[in-house]
Amino acid sequence: MNRISVRKFSAVGTDWAAVLTGLGLGLTVAIELTALRASDIASFYLIIQTISRFAALIGTYFALLGILLVSRIPWVERGVGHDRLITWHRKLGPWSLYLIGLHVLLITVGYASQFQEQVISEFWSILTTFSWMWAALAGFIFMITAGVTSYKKARAKLSYEAWWTIHVSTYLAIALSFMHQILNGPMFISHPLNKAFWIFLYSAMVFCIVYWRIALPTYRSFRHGLKVEKIVVEGPNMVSIIMRGRDLDKLGAQGGQFFGWRFIAKGHALASHPYSLSASPTAHYLRITVKDLGDHSRSMADLKPGTRVFMEGPYGAFTAGRASRKHVVLVGGGVGITPIRALMEEFRAGVQLDVIFRASNAEDLVLREEMDYLAAKSEGSIRIHYLVGSRKIHPMDAKSLEALVPRFADSDIYICGPSPLVEAVRTAAKELGVPKNRFHDEAFAFHSE
Amino acid sequence: MKRFLLIAAGTIGGLGAVLSITPPQLGATNLGLGLDLGTPPNSNTSTQTPTASQSTSATVAPVVTTKPSASSTKNSVPTKTPSSTTSGPATASATPAQSTAPTVAPTPTSIPVPTKTATPTPTVKSISGTFTGPVVNVNYGNVQVEITVVNGKITDAQALMAPTGRNDKYTRMALPQLKQQTLAAQSTNIQGASGASYTTYGWRKSLQGAMVKAGL
Repeated sequence: MNRISVRKFSAVGTDWAAVLTGLGLGLTVAIELTALRASDIASFYLIIQTISRFAALIGTYFALLGILLVSRIPWVERGVGHDRLITWHRKLGPWSLYLIGLHVLLITVGYASQFQEQVISEFWSILTTFSWMWAALAGFIFMITAGVTSYKKARAKLSYEAWWTIHVSTYLAIALSFMHQILNGPMFISHPLNKAFWIFLYSAMVFCIVYWRIALPTYRSFRHGLKVEKIVVEGPNMVSIIMRGRDLDKLGAQGGQFFGWRFIAKGHALASHPYSLSASPTAHYLRITVKDLGDHSRSMADLKPGTRVFMEGPYGAFTAGRASRKHVVLVGGGVGITPIRALMEEFRAGVQLDVIFRASNAEDLVLREEMDYLAAKSEGSIRIHYLVGSRKIHPMDAKSLEALVPRFADSDIYICGPSPLVEAVRTAAKELGVPKNRFHDEAFAFHSE
Repeated sequence: MKRFLLIAAGTIGGLGAVLSITPPQLGATNLGLGLDLGTPPNSNTSTQTPTASQSTSATVAPVVTTKPSASSTKNSVPTKTPSSTTSGPATASATPAQSTAPTVAPTPTSIPVPTKTATPTPTVKSISGTFTGPVVNVNYGNVQVEITVVNGKITDAQALMAPTGRNDKYTRMALPQLKQQTLAAQSTNIQGASGASYTTYGWRKSLQGAMVKAGL
């Protein structure tokens, strides 16, 4: 892949995405503004109702945008990077919920004061008077549930499957709220252009989800017929799953990228789990290496050969094409070594690789044998540094990194590992003058949407 | 930072583009509960501009005097242009079923106008009696209006039917207002009741039918 074009695409693509995002927000605010009449701001309670409508529109726009961010559009994934998209999705989500909550609150209070009713009874009469209000309420409840279960504390208590199932109901929530907007919103009634814009926005989201999150992965899974070939135990609680399929080179996957994997077996088929490839993909094989972090991965070792695999991907921008220097430092922490291991095969000849494998115990140095083999075969272009022990022994600061890799400051840095490690190396890189666009990180916890 | 500027630029661009085409009509009024009374809630008339509705409101007077036949209702479209104010086409109003009836079109801004234009009616005819409008089906039920006319003047207007149910508080609140507005306006050109836009719509339609029956 042409490395220059990848980097340019990233910057320009993000800029355009930003402009389009703003444009959509502007149009969203504008459709309420154009429909605004003097009487909408004539009294206190009418102003409250108008504010409520702004909140509803912007909140819904954020919700749609949040969905767009995780709709797995390939060029967005490549350009921005999956983990960054997830970060934005997480930042946007709560705001969407707050704004829609504000809408529900203010519209009820606004009407209650207009009709001099109790807030509770007004809430009831709004529900029973206007079209599609029960659906909207159901959608709101789904949304709150998805929001609450995504807070860190709640999230930690839930299994990935349970969280995922609840979270996916946000689609339903947004769909359910559509009719009450179109039928009751003063910005839509008798404003066909506004209505057209809103319908377009919703249709675009539906298209993105149906095409990129459902149709394309389904097609690819059938087309490539991926099945579990072999399970290899790599170390304490670490297993590699080798999968075989047809024409896998046509996927265009690269080392450093990941797929969402769904094993069609009892206890696995419910949710898809994201794992990085732990070896460069070949025409017939894909491999992932998994630590038993949670309830799901523990039973991966029990998967039977021949189990069908439904895959979504490849995703992620953690690829060799983003490097701009002839010297590259790859840092892997613990199980974060898996994409690093896959990346080791991806750089073209002439690029000098320094691989730093950070682990707290020697037994966590999984895939060590094959890494040593790759290094031995590389005729000196790959050097591996195993750093085993506590953070006190290996602080991973600017001083120690420069001592370990003298050309650190003039390198592209790739890192995947626990966030304290990533942040330590990020700080060190900054101190040593490595610009942002040469620091490539992949969020370690992929169970994160 | 740069990205935020780009987002802001996009937002302003989008806002500017829309507002330069259709600026907010802050001069116009809009009734509460989120439903724009200027247009029947379930109809497809959505292209009325304020100027068009002004001119159609002026046509209300000719309708009253020419007492046209329902057969000319198909010509309702031209009434949106001011040039047609003297002709019969305005009688689209004779059939409530025609949702494009111009009498529905006026936005509440034109309230002062029709009250004046409608006043000539008593001098033209001296009709008396009770006239019942058609049953108009709206979202939450049926509306039917009965008017009492004395010497060409509407002296009473009652709802024979109105949406009922658990949430008829809007309706109960609306009917006295609608009656009072009808008596004051002596036409269908009433502002309507806040929070009861469907009922108001049905009221207008049925009232229209009753008035045509009465020959007003």
